[in-house]
Amino acid sequence: MTATIPTRRSTEEQASAIPSWRRVLGSEVAARVTFYVTAFLLWVALAAAFERVPGPLSVVDSLVTEFSRGEVFSNFADTFYRFTIGVALSVIVGVVVGIVMGLSGLARAFFESPVLVGLSIPAIIWAFLTVMWFGFGDASPIVTTFLTAVPFVIVNVAQGVQGVSRDLRDMSSSYGVPLGRRVRDLVLPAVSGYVLAGVRFAVIIGWNGVLLAEWFGGSGGAGFRARYWYDANQFAGFAAWVILFVVVIVVLDQLVFERMARRAFRWRDAAHS
Amino acid sequence: MAVLTVNDLCKTFGAGTARSNRVLDHISFDVRGQTFVSIVGPSGCGKSTLLNIISGVETHTSGAISVTSDDGRPARLGYVFQDPRLLPWRTVRKNMMYVQDKDDEVTRGRVDRYLDMVGLGKHGDFWPGQLSGGMQQRVGIARAFAVEPDLLIMDEPFSHLDAITARGLRAQLQDIWAQSKKTVVFVTHDVVEAVELSDRIIVLQPGGRIYEDITIDLPRPRRQSDPAVATLQAEVLARLEKMKAMTPQVAASV
Repeated sequence: MTATIPTRRSTEEQASAIPSWRRVLGSEVAARVTFYVTAFLLWVALAAAFERVPGPLSVVDSLVTEFSRGEVFSNFADTFYRFTIGVALSVIVGVVVGIVMGLSGLARAFFESPVLVGLSIPAIIWAFLTVMWFGFGDASPIVTTFLTAVPFVIVNVAQGVQGVSRDLRDMSSSYGVPLGRRVRDLVLPAVSGYVLAGVRFAVIIGWNGVLLAEWFGGSGGAGFRARYWYDANQFAGFAAWVILFVVVIVVLDQLVFERMARRAFRWRDAAHS
Repeated sequence: MAVLTVNDLCKTFGAGTARSNRVLDHISFDVRGQTFVSIVGPSGCGKSTLLNIISGVETHTSGAISVTSDDGRPARLGYVFQDPRLLPWRTVRKNMMYVQDKDDEVTRGRVDRYLDMVGLGKHGDFWPGQLSGGMQQRVGIARAFAVEPDLLIMDEPFSHLDAITARGLRAQLQDIWAQSKKTVVFVTHDVVEAVELSDRIIVLQPGGRIYEDITIDLPRPRRQSDPAVATLQAEVLARLEKMKAMTPQVAASV
Protein backbone atom coordinates (compact mmCIF):
# COMPACT_ATOMS: atom_id res chain seq x y z
CA MET A 1 0.00 0.00 0.00
CA THR A 2 1.36 3.43 -0.82
CA ALA A 3 0.79 6.59 1.16
CA THR A 4 0.55 9.99 -0.47
CA ILE A 5 2.35 12.78 1.33
CA PRO A 6 0.45 16.01 0.81
CA THR A 7 2.46 18.87 -0.67
CA ARG A 8 3.60 21.09 2.15
CA ARG A 9 3.47 24.83 1.71
CA SER A 10 6.19 27.28 2.68
CA THR A 11 5.56 29.75 5.50
CA GLU A 12 5.28 32.56 2.92
CA GLU A 13 2.62 30.62 1.00
CA GLN A 14 0.79 29.85 4.23
CA ALA A 15 0.89 33.53 5.25
CA SER A 16 -0.41 34.74 1.91
CA ALA A 17 -3.25 32.19 2.07
CA ILE A 18 -4.58 33.75 5.30
CA PRO A 19 -7.15 36.52 4.69
CA SER A 20 -5.90 39.98 5.70
CA TRP A 21 -8.64 40.48 8.34
CA ARG A 22 -7.48 37.27 10.09
CA ARG A 23 -3.85 38.42 9.97
CA VAL A 24 -4.88 41.75 11.64
CA LEU A 25 -6.86 39.93 14.34
CA GLY A 26 -3.93 37.63 15.04
CA SER A 27 -1.40 40.49 15.42
CA GLU A 28 0.22 41.80 18.62
CA VAL A 29 -1.46 45.18 18.08
CA ALA A 30 -4.83 43.44 18.11
CA ALA A 31 -3.91 41.70 21.38
CA ARG A 32 -3.06 45.06 22.98
CA VAL A 33 -6.22 46.74 21.68
CA THR A 34 -8.25 43.78 22.96
CA PHE A 35 -6.81 44.28 26.43
CA TYR A 36 -7.65 48.00 26.50
CA VAL A 37 -11.18 47.41 25.20
CA THR A 38 -11.77 44.60 27.72
CA ALA A 39 -10.44 46.71 30.60
CA PHE A 40 -12.66 49.61 29.56
CA LEU A 41 -15.75 47.41 29.33
CA LEU A 42 -14.96 45.89 32.74
CA TRP A 43 -14.64 49.38 34.18
CA VAL A 44 -18.02 50.39 32.74
CA ALA A 45 -19.60 47.22 34.16
CA LEU A 46 -18.07 47.73 37.62
CA ALA A 47 -19.17 51.36 37.66
CA ALA A 48 -22.72 50.29 36.79
CA ALA A 49 -22.71 47.62 39.51
CA PHE A 50 -21.05 49.54 42.37
CA GLU A 51 -21.90 53.05 43.46
CA ARG A 52 -18.39 53.74 44.80
CA VAL A 53 -16.68 52.95 41.50
CA PRO A 54 -16.71 56.12 39.35
CA GLY A 55 -17.63 55.62 35.70
CA PRO A 56 -15.54 56.80 32.73
CA LEU A 57 -17.70 59.86 32.09
CA SER A 58 -17.40 61.24 35.64
CA VAL A 59 -13.63 60.59 35.61
CA VAL A 60 -13.22 62.41 32.29
CA ASP A 61 -15.29 65.25 33.69
CA SER A 62 -12.96 65.47 36.72
CA LEU A 63 -9.93 65.40 34.46
CA VAL A 64 -11.27 68.28 32.37
CA THR A 65 -11.98 70.25 35.53
CA GLU A 66 -8.46 69.66 36.90
CA PHE A 67 -6.91 70.71 33.59
CA SER A 68 -9.07 73.82 33.38
CA ARG A 69 -8.09 74.85 36.92
CA GLY A 70 -4.40 74.49 36.03
CA GLU A 71 -3.93 71.87 38.74
CA VAL A 72 -2.48 69.20 36.48
CA PHE A 73 0.54 71.05 35.11
CA SER A 74 1.49 72.87 38.33
CA ASN A 75 1.29 69.70 40.46
CA PHE A 76 3.10 67.56 37.92
CA ALA A 77 5.81 70.22 37.69
CA ASP A 78 6.38 69.85 41.45
CA THR A 79 6.36 66.07 41.22
CA PHE A 80 8.74 65.93 38.25
CA TYR A 81 11.18 68.27 39.95
CA ARG A 82 11.40 65.94 42.99
CA PHE A 83 11.27 62.79 40.88
CA THR A 84 14.04 63.94 38.52
CA ILE A 85 16.41 64.84 41.36
CA GLY A 86 15.69 61.56 43.19
CA VAL A 87 16.15 59.39 40.09
CA ALA A 88 19.24 61.27 38.92
CA LEU A 89 20.87 60.79 42.33
CA SER A 90 19.96 57.11 42.37
CA VAL A 91 21.44 56.60 38.88
CA ILE A 92 24.69 58.42 39.71
CA VAL A 93 25.19 56.65 43.04
CA GLY A 94 23.88 53.33 41.68
CA VAL A 95 26.19 53.26 38.66
CA VAL A 96 29.28 54.14 40.73
CA VAL A 97 28.52 51.64 43.52
CA GLY A 98 27.45 49.02 40.97
CA ILE A 99 30.72 49.32 39.02
CA VAL A 100 32.78 49.12 42.24
CA MET A 101 30.75 46.07 43.37
CA GLY A 102 31.21 44.43 39.99
CA LEU A 103 34.97 44.92 40.02
CA SER A 104 35.87 44.23 43.64
CA GLY A 105 34.99 41.23 45.79
CA LEU A 106 35.69 43.30 48.89
CA ALA A 107 33.23 46.00 47.81
CA ARG A 108 30.69 43.29 46.98
CA ALA A 109 31.01 41.86 50.48
CA PHE A 110 30.59 45.33 51.97
CA PHE A 111 27.59 46.48 49.93
CA GLU A 112 25.72 43.18 49.50
CA SER A 113 23.77 43.36 52.78
CA PRO A 114 22.70 47.03 52.62
CA VAL A 115 21.58 46.55 49.00
CA LEU A 116 19.55 43.49 49.99
CA VAL A 117 17.94 45.46 52.82
CA GLY A 118 17.19 48.29 50.39
CA LEU A 119 15.56 45.90 47.94
CA SER A 120 13.36 44.39 50.63
CA ILE A 121 11.96 47.66 52.02
CA PRO A 122 8.87 48.80 50.11
CA ALA A 123 8.43 52.38 48.95
CA ILE A 124 5.59 52.98 51.42
CA ILE A 125 7.91 52.35 54.40
CA TRP A 126 10.48 54.80 53.02
CA ALA A 127 7.67 57.32 52.51
CA PHE A 128 6.57 57.03 56.17
CA LEU A 129 10.15 57.22 57.44
CA THR A 130 11.19 60.22 55.34
CA VAL A 131 8.06 62.16 56.31
CA MET A 132 8.96 61.50 59.96
CA TRP A 133 12.58 62.54 59.36
CA PHE A 134 12.16 65.51 57.01
CA GLY A 135 8.55 66.61 57.49
CA PHE A 136 6.48 68.17 54.69
CA GLY A 137 8.51 69.55 51.81
CA ASP A 138 10.70 68.51 48.91
CA ALA A 139 13.21 66.46 50.91
CA SER A 140 10.83 63.59 51.76
CA PRO A 141 9.80 62.69 48.19
CA ILE A 142 13.33 63.20 46.84
CA VAL A 143 14.89 60.93 49.47
CA THR A 144 12.09 58.37 49.12
CA THR A 145 12.62 58.24 45.36
CA PHE A 146 16.37 57.87 45.83
CA LEU A 147 16.17 55.16 48.51
CA THR A 148 13.54 53.19 46.61
CA ALA A 149 15.35 53.27 43.27
CA VAL A 150 19.06 53.07 44.10
CA PRO A 151 19.25 49.34 45.06
CA PHE A 152 17.79 48.34 41.69
CA VAL A 153 20.37 50.39 39.79
CA ILE A 154 23.22 48.97 41.91
CA VAL A 155 22.18 45.34 41.42
CA ASN A 156 21.78 45.69 37.65
CA VAL A 157 25.04 47.55 37.08
CA ALA A 158 27.04 45.16 39.31
CA GLN A 159 25.65 42.19 37.38
CA GLY A 160 26.56 43.88 34.10
CA VAL A 161 30.15 44.57 35.13
CA GLN A 162 30.60 41.00 36.37
CA GLY A 163 29.15 39.76 33.10
CA VAL A 164 31.78 41.36 30.83
CA SER A 165 33.16 38.38 28.93
CA ARG A 166 36.48 37.05 30.23
CA ASP A 167 37.29 35.85 26.71
CA LEU A 168 36.88 39.35 25.30
CA ARG A 169 38.99 40.83 28.09
CA ASP A 170 41.73 38.27 27.39
CA MET A 171 41.53 39.00 23.67
CA SER A 172 41.98 42.71 24.41
CA SER A 173 44.98 41.98 26.64
CA SER A 174 46.57 39.74 24.00
CA TYR A 175 46.39 42.53 21.45
CA GLY A 176 47.51 45.16 23.95
CA VAL A 177 44.37 47.29 23.46
CA PRO A 178 44.79 50.49 25.56
CA LEU A 179 42.71 50.76 28.76
CA GLY A 180 40.70 53.77 27.60
CA ARG A 181 39.61 52.00 24.42
CA ARG A 182 38.77 48.85 26.39
CA VAL A 183 36.50 50.81 28.74
CA ARG A 184 34.86 52.73 25.87
CA ASP A 185 34.43 49.90 23.36
CA LEU A 186 34.22 46.79 25.56
CA VAL A 187 33.11 47.51 29.14
CA LEU A 188 30.60 50.33 28.57
CA PRO A 189 28.70 48.66 25.70
CA ALA A 190 28.68 45.37 27.64
CA VAL A 191 27.22 47.13 30.69
CA SER A 192 24.90 49.54 28.88
CA GLY A 193 22.01 47.08 28.69
CA TYR A 194 22.19 46.49 32.44
CA VAL A 195 22.45 50.22 33.17
CA LEU A 196 19.42 50.84 30.99
CA ALA A 197 17.46 48.09 32.73
CA GLY A 198 18.51 49.53 36.12
CA VAL A 199 17.45 53.06 35.20
CA ARG A 200 14.16 51.73 33.85
CA PHE A 201 13.48 49.99 37.17
CA ALA A 202 14.61 53.11 39.01
CA VAL A 203 12.11 55.25 37.12
CA ILE A 204 9.17 52.91 37.71
CA ILE A 205 10.00 52.23 41.37
CA GLY A 206 11.01 55.85 41.98
CA TRP A 207 7.68 57.05 40.54
CA ASN A 208 5.90 54.93 43.15
CA GLY A 209 8.16 56.40 45.81
CA VAL A 210 7.63 60.06 44.93
CA LEU A 211 3.83 59.68 44.72
CA LEU A 212 3.66 57.87 48.06
CA ALA A 213 5.83 60.46 49.78
CA GLU A 214 3.67 63.26 48.38
CA TRP A 215 0.54 61.36 49.45
CA PHE A 216 1.68 61.13 53.05
CA GLY A 217 3.81 64.24 53.45
CA GLY A 218 3.50 66.49 50.43
CA SER A 219 2.41 70.10 50.37
CA GLY A 220 1.81 69.88 46.63
CA GLY A 221 2.40 67.53 43.72
CA ALA A 222 0.48 64.80 41.94
CA GLY A 223 0.42 62.43 44.94
CA PHE A 224 -0.75 65.24 47.20
CA ARG A 225 -3.55 66.17 44.78
CA ALA A 226 -4.76 62.55 44.56
CA ARG A 227 -4.86 62.46 48.38
CA TYR A 228 -6.86 65.70 48.35
CA TRP A 229 -9.66 64.10 46.29
CA TYR A 230 -9.48 60.90 48.32
CA ASP A 231 -9.91 62.82 51.59
CA ALA A 232 -12.80 64.77 50.00
CA ASN A 233 -14.47 61.43 49.26
CA GLN A 234 -14.54 62.39 45.55
CA PHE A 235 -13.56 59.14 43.87
CA ALA A 236 -13.89 60.46 40.34
CA GLY A 237 -11.20 63.10 41.07
CA PHE A 238 -9.03 60.48 42.75
CA ALA A 239 -9.41 58.08 39.81
CA ALA A 240 -8.54 60.89 37.37
CA TRP A 241 -5.17 61.34 39.06
CA VAL A 242 -4.53 57.60 39.16
CA ILE A 243 -5.06 57.54 35.40
CA LEU A 244 -2.61 60.40 34.99
CA PHE A 245 0.01 58.52 37.09
CA VAL A 246 -0.31 55.52 34.82
CA VAL A 247 -0.27 57.54 31.59
CA VAL A 248 2.92 59.36 32.62
CA ILE A 249 4.84 56.17 33.36
CA VAL A 250 3.61 54.37 30.24
CA VAL A 251 4.52 57.32 28.00
CA LEU A 252 7.93 57.66 29.66
CA ASP A 253 8.64 53.96 29.28
CA GLN A 254 7.47 53.62 25.69
CA LEU A 255 8.79 56.90 24.30
CA VAL A 256 12.10 57.11 26.13
CA PHE A 257 13.24 53.70 27.34
CA GLU A 258 11.90 51.57 24.50
CA ARG A 259 13.71 53.80 22.02
CA MET A 260 16.91 53.84 24.05
CA ALA A 261 16.83 50.04 24.37
CA ARG A 262 16.21 49.64 20.63
CA ARG A 263 19.21 51.84 19.86
CA ALA A 264 21.49 50.16 22.43
CA PHE A 265 20.65 46.67 21.14
CA ARG A 266 20.33 47.33 17.41
CA TRP A 267 23.24 44.92 16.80
CA ARG A 268 21.26 42.14 18.47
CA ASP A 269 18.05 42.89 16.58
CA ALA A 270 19.97 42.97 13.28
CA ALA A 271 21.53 39.59 14.04
CA HIS A 272 18.11 38.03 14.59
CA SER A 273 16.35 39.68 11.65
CA MET B 1 58.89 37.97 11.46
CA ALA B 2 59.79 37.04 15.00
CA VAL B 3 62.37 35.26 17.10
CA LEU B 4 60.74 33.23 19.85
CA THR B 5 63.06 31.73 22.44
CA VAL B 6 61.73 29.47 25.19
CA ASN B 7 64.36 28.32 27.65
CA ASP B 8 63.79 25.82 30.46
CA LEU B 9 60.25 27.09 30.93
CA CYS B 10 58.12 25.74 33.79
CA LYS B 11 54.57 26.55 34.78
CA THR B 12 52.98 25.30 37.97
CA PHE B 13 49.45 26.27 38.92
CA GLY B 14 49.06 26.74 42.69
CA ALA B 15 52.83 26.56 43.22
CA GLY B 16 53.72 26.03 46.88
CA THR B 17 50.29 24.72 47.81
CA ALA B 18 49.03 21.20 48.42
CA ARG B 19 47.16 21.35 45.10
CA SER B 20 50.10 22.47 42.96
CA ASN B 21 49.88 21.21 39.38
CA ARG B 22 52.86 21.42 37.02
CA VAL B 23 51.62 21.78 33.45
CA LEU B 24 54.88 22.76 31.70
CA ASP B 25 58.10 21.04 32.71
CA HIS B 26 61.44 22.46 31.52
CA ILE B 27 60.40 23.30 27.97
CA SER B 28 63.05 24.65 25.61
CA PHE B 29 62.78 25.48 21.91
CA ASP B 30 63.12 28.39 19.57
CA VAL B 31 61.36 29.52 16.45
CA ARG B 32 62.64 32.09 13.97
CA GLY B 33 61.91 33.43 10.50
CA GLN B 34 58.95 32.55 8.31
CA THR B 35 58.26 29.28 10.08
CA PHE B 36 54.97 27.59 10.79
CA VAL B 37 55.31 25.58 14.01
CA SER B 38 52.54 23.42 15.40
CA ILE B 39 52.35 22.33 19.01
CA VAL B 40 50.56 19.02 19.27
CA GLY B 41 49.59 16.92 22.24
CA PRO B 42 46.76 15.37 24.18
CA SER B 43 44.26 17.42 26.18
CA GLY B 44 45.77 18.85 29.36
CA CYS B 45 49.42 18.66 28.23
CA GLY B 46 49.85 22.44 28.52
CA LYS B 47 49.50 23.56 24.88
CA SER B 48 47.12 26.45 25.55
CA THR B 49 49.01 27.44 28.72
CA LEU B 50 52.19 27.70 26.65
CA LEU B 51 50.41 29.96 24.15
CA ASN B 52 49.04 32.11 26.96
CA ILE B 53 52.54 32.52 28.36
CA ILE B 54 53.92 33.44 24.94
CA SER B 55 51.17 36.03 24.49
CA GLY B 56 51.63 37.45 28.00
CA VAL B 57 48.15 36.59 29.27
CA GLU B 58 49.69 34.04 31.70
CA THR B 59 52.93 34.28 33.71
CA HIS B 60 55.48 31.46 33.92
CA THR B 61 56.84 29.99 37.16
CA SER B 62 60.51 29.65 36.14
CA GLY B 63 62.73 29.66 33.07
CA ALA B 64 62.87 32.33 30.42
CA ILE B 65 60.89 33.36 27.37
CA SER B 66 61.49 36.13 24.89
CA VAL B 67 59.61 37.23 21.80
CA THR B 68 61.29 39.84 19.64
CA SER B 69 60.98 40.87 16.05
CA ASP B 70 63.86 39.72 13.83
CA ASP B 71 65.36 43.24 14.04
CA GLY B 72 65.43 43.10 17.85
CA ARG B 73 62.48 45.31 18.87
CA PRO B 74 59.61 43.86 20.99
CA ALA B 75 57.44 41.69 18.78
CA ARG B 76 53.90 42.61 17.76
CA LEU B 77 51.57 39.65 18.35
CA GLY B 78 48.45 38.51 16.55
CA TYR B 79 46.16 35.96 18.16
CA VAL B 80 43.53 33.65 16.69
CA PHE B 81 41.47 31.90 19.35
CA GLN B 82 39.37 28.72 19.37
CA ASP B 83 36.29 30.92 19.06
CA PRO B 84 36.26 34.20 17.13
CA ARG B 85 36.02 36.51 20.19
CA LEU B 86 34.38 39.39 18.33
CA LEU B 87 32.61 42.26 20.09
CA PRO B 88 28.97 41.61 19.11
CA TRP B 89 28.04 45.32 19.28
CA ARG B 90 30.70 46.37 16.76
CA THR B 91 30.58 45.74 13.04
CA VAL B 92 33.15 43.42 11.43
CA ARG B 93 35.32 46.34 10.27
CA LYS B 94 35.11 48.07 13.66
CA ASN B 95 36.08 44.80 15.37
CA MET B 96 39.21 44.71 13.26
CA MET B 97 39.95 48.38 13.98
CA TYR B 98 39.52 47.75 17.75
CA VAL B 99 42.91 46.01 17.97
CA GLN B 100 44.82 48.33 15.62
CA ASP B 101 47.37 50.82 16.93
CA LYS B 102 46.19 53.63 14.65
CA ASP B 103 42.96 54.74 13.03
CA ASP B 104 44.20 56.21 9.76
CA GLU B 105 43.77 55.67 6.03
CA VAL B 106 46.67 53.22 5.81
CA THR B 107 45.30 51.06 8.63
CA ARG B 108 41.76 51.11 7.26
CA GLY B 109 43.11 50.12 3.85
CA ARG B 110 45.05 47.24 5.39
CA VAL B 111 41.97 46.06 7.30
CA ASP B 112 39.93 46.06 4.09
CA ARG B 113 42.70 44.23 2.24
CA TYR B 114 42.74 41.38 4.78
CA LEU B 115 38.95 41.23 4.80
CA ASP B 116 39.16 40.80 1.03
CA MET B 117 41.79 38.06 1.45
CA VAL B 118 39.46 36.01 3.65
CA GLY B 119 36.59 36.59 1.22
CA LEU B 120 34.64 39.00 3.46
CA GLY B 121 35.31 42.26 1.66
CA LYS B 122 31.59 42.92 1.32
CA HIS B 123 30.80 42.11 4.96
CA GLY B 124 32.70 44.91 6.69
CA ASP B 125 29.51 46.62 7.85
CA PHE B 126 27.82 43.44 9.08
CA TRP B 127 27.35 42.67 12.78
CA PRO B 128 29.12 39.46 13.90
CA GLY B 129 25.74 37.92 14.74
CA GLN B 130 24.78 38.17 11.07
CA LEU B 131 27.67 35.88 10.04
CA SER B 132 28.06 32.10 10.25
CA GLY B 133 30.58 30.52 12.65
CA GLY B 134 33.05 29.94 9.81
CA MET B 135 32.74 33.53 8.59
CA GLN B 136 33.26 34.85 12.13
CA GLN B 137 36.42 32.75 12.45
CA ARG B 138 37.64 34.19 9.14
CA VAL B 139 37.18 37.66 10.65
CA GLY B 140 39.27 36.47 13.62
CA ILE B 141 42.03 35.34 11.24
CA ALA B 142 41.87 38.56 9.20
CA ARG B 143 42.02 40.58 12.45
CA ALA B 144 45.17 38.75 13.53
CA PHE B 145 46.94 39.27 10.18
CA ALA B 146 45.79 42.90 9.93
CA VAL B 147 47.80 43.98 12.98
CA GLU B 148 50.86 42.99 10.90
CA PRO B 149 52.18 40.79 13.69
CA ASP B 150 55.74 39.57 13.90
CA LEU B 151 54.41 36.45 15.61
CA LEU B 152 50.99 34.96 14.95
CA ILE B 153 49.61 32.71 17.68
CA MET B 154 46.75 30.36 16.81
CA ASP B 155 44.99 28.28 19.45
CA GLU B 156 43.02 25.44 17.81
CA PRO B 157 41.29 27.94 15.53
CA PHE B 158 39.39 25.34 13.52
CA SER B 159 38.38 22.95 16.30
CA HIS B 160 34.83 24.35 16.58
CA LEU B 161 34.11 24.22 12.85
CA ASP B 162 32.70 21.48 10.67
CA ALA B 163 35.19 19.48 8.56
CA ILE B 164 34.42 21.14 5.23
CA THR B 165 34.59 24.70 6.59
CA ALA B 166 37.80 23.86 8.45
CA ARG B 167 39.40 22.43 5.30
CA GLY B 168 38.54 25.59 3.34
CA LEU B 169 39.96 27.81 6.05
CA ARG B 170 43.17 25.77 6.28
CA ALA B 171 43.73 26.26 2.55
CA GLN B 172 43.00 29.97 2.92
CA LEU B 173 45.37 30.23 5.88
CA GLN B 174 48.19 28.64 3.89
CA ASP B 175 47.68 31.13 1.05
CA ILE B 176 47.63 34.18 3.34
CA TRP B 177 50.61 32.92 5.33
CA ALA B 178 52.62 32.36 2.12
CA GLN B 179 51.95 35.98 1.13
CA SER B 180 52.43 37.61 4.52
CA LYS B 181 55.63 35.84 5.66
CA LYS B 182 54.81 35.58 9.38
CA THR B 183 56.19 33.41 12.14
CA VAL B 184 53.31 31.23 13.31
CA VAL B 185 52.86 29.14 16.45
CA PHE B 186 49.79 26.97 15.99
CA VAL B 187 48.26 24.76 18.66
CA THR B 188 46.17 21.78 17.61
CA HIS B 189 45.29 18.30 18.77
CA ASP B 190 44.74 17.28 15.16
CA VAL B 191 47.91 15.67 13.75
CA VAL B 192 46.50 15.61 10.22
CA GLU B 193 45.99 19.37 10.36
CA ALA B 194 49.46 19.89 11.83
CA VAL B 195 51.18 17.97 9.02
CA GLU B 196 49.23 19.83 6.36
CA LEU B 197 50.16 23.26 7.73
CA SER B 198 53.51 23.05 9.51
CA ASP B 199 57.23 23.21 8.90
CA ARG B 200 57.79 21.81 12.37
CA ILE B 201 55.70 19.89 14.88
CA ILE B 202 56.57 20.03 18.57
CA VAL B 203 54.87 17.18 20.40
CA LEU B 204 54.06 17.76 24.07
CA GLN B 205 53.42 14.79 26.31
CA PRO B 206 51.31 14.69 29.49
CA GLY B 207 53.14 16.45 32.27
CA GLY B 208 54.17 19.20 29.90
CA ARG B 209 57.44 17.93 28.45
CA ILE B 210 58.56 17.98 24.85
CA TYR B 211 58.34 14.43 23.50
CA GLU B 212 59.57 15.10 19.98
CA ASP B 213 60.42 17.94 17.61
CA ILE B 214 59.56 16.82 14.05
CA THR B 215 60.57 18.64 10.87
CA ILE B 216 58.03 18.49 8.03
CA ASP B 217 59.90 18.87 4.79
CA LEU B 218 57.17 18.83 2.14
CA PRO B 219 56.59 21.27 -0.71
CA ARG B 220 53.75 23.83 -0.47
CA PRO B 221 50.91 24.37 -1.03
CA ARG B 222 49.88 21.09 0.60
CA ARG B 223 46.55 19.39 0.33
CA GLN B 224 45.31 16.43 2.35
CA SER B 225 44.73 14.48 -0.85
CA ASP B 226 48.46 14.63 -1.67
CA PRO B 227 49.93 11.09 -1.14
CA ALA B 228 53.15 12.48 0.37
CA VAL B 229 51.13 14.44 2.94
CA ALA B 230 49.01 11.38 3.74
CA THR B 231 52.13 9.19 4.16
CA LEU B 232 53.76 11.67 6.52
CA GLN B 233 50.54 12.05 8.48
CA ALA B 234 50.45 8.29 8.99
CA GLU B 235 54.08 8.30 10.09
CA VAL B 236 53.58 11.09 12.64
CA LEU B 237 50.45 9.39 13.94
CA ALA B 238 52.44 6.18 14.40
CA ARG B 239 55.04 8.05 16.45
CA LEU B 240 52.30 9.50 18.62
CA GLU B 241 50.80 6.04 19.07
CA LYS B 242 54.21 4.95 20.32
CA MET B 243 54.21 7.85 22.80
CA LYS B 244 50.73 6.87 23.89
CA ALA B 245 51.89 3.30 24.51
CA MET B 246 54.79 4.55 26.60
CA THR B 247 52.58 6.86 28.66
CA PRO B 248 49.33 4.97 29.28
CA GLN B 249 47.57 7.94 30.83
CA VAL B 250 47.61 9.79 27.50
CA ALA B 251 44.06 10.61 26.53
CA ALA B 252 42.65 9.07 23.40
CA SER B 253 42.42 12.50 21.85
CA VAL B 254 45.83 12.30 20.17
